[in-house]
Amino acid sequence: METMKPDMMPEGCDAKFGVLPACAPLATSWVPPQGMNPPMYAPEEALTRGTLFPGLDLPFMNMVNKSNPYAGTPLGELMALTFMAKELQLYLDTHPDDQDAFKALKDTLALKREGTKRYVKLYGPLRLEDMEDSANYDWLRGPWPWEYCERMGK
Amino acid sequence: MFSYVKSLEYPVKIKNTNPALAKFIISQYGGPDGEMSASLRYLSQRYSMPTPQLRGLLTDIGVEELGHFEMVAAIIHQLTRDMTPEEVKKAGFETYFVDHTAGIYPQFASGTPWTAATIGVKGDTITDLTEDMGADATTL
Repeated sequence: METMKPDMMPEGCDAKFGVLPACAPLATSWVPPQGMNPPMYAPEEALTRGTLFPGLDLPFMNMVNKSNPYAGTPLGELMALTFMAKELQLYLDTHPDDQDAFKALKDTLALKREGTKRYVKLYGPLRLEDMEDSANYDWLRGPWPWEYCERMGK
Repeated sequence: MFSYVKSLEYPVKIKNTNPALAKFIISQYGGPDGEMSASLRYLSQRYSMPTPQLRGLLTDIGVEELGHFEMVAAIIHQLTRDMTPEEVKKAGFETYFVDHTAGIYPQFASGTPWTAATIGVKGDTITDLTEDMGADATTL
């Protein structure tokens, strides 16, 4: 059975469409795969919309988040970069040969490392290894992630 | 191996106590199509996957679902943490409250505890991926 590689998008197909064989046999179901080099949102918009990829952005009942409550804060920035890295990881799991996406992942991870450093200095460790430079065991310092707190992320 | 990152994937900041809403949202925590089911479905199915892409995908999605599990718990916690007895009664939240108070218990909206009967792990790629699409079609 002949299928087209994801990077061979036919004329007239944008990121909202996948690729099917030109002539599909009867009574066979198909799941069109996401193509290579898909368009991407910026990190903040990706986190707000819940996907990095406009092509996969199919909101339930057309309900969409307006904004991230921590937008523009060190935590909000870090959440956006973490989400972007996670989305790129999931994409690369099925598109490991997309070099542009891999470069985007590496750039995102570098920004995330810097953002984590800045955050940890202000608010304490996010991961065990962030305590390498702590003066004391500040893992228990609040608020914990589920505790609503106006102070958090500011 | 798993290690914890002390941050939610997306912020949860709820101002108003609302146990009536928590009664429904609890199913996204421990209900048949909730995050507990999703994470254990993927993390348990990955061992029989035949390609590196599928092993990686089910591992990485399973881990992401654990992050969703934590966010949903944060939502329920913030909807119920300051309940007054009047609010519990008005919301019809007594049946949950009598067993769990303001604790976060993985259960269906109907009160049935979370059960592995809600997930399928067959060791067959097509069967397992079909189950995943049925349960969680927008993430796979």
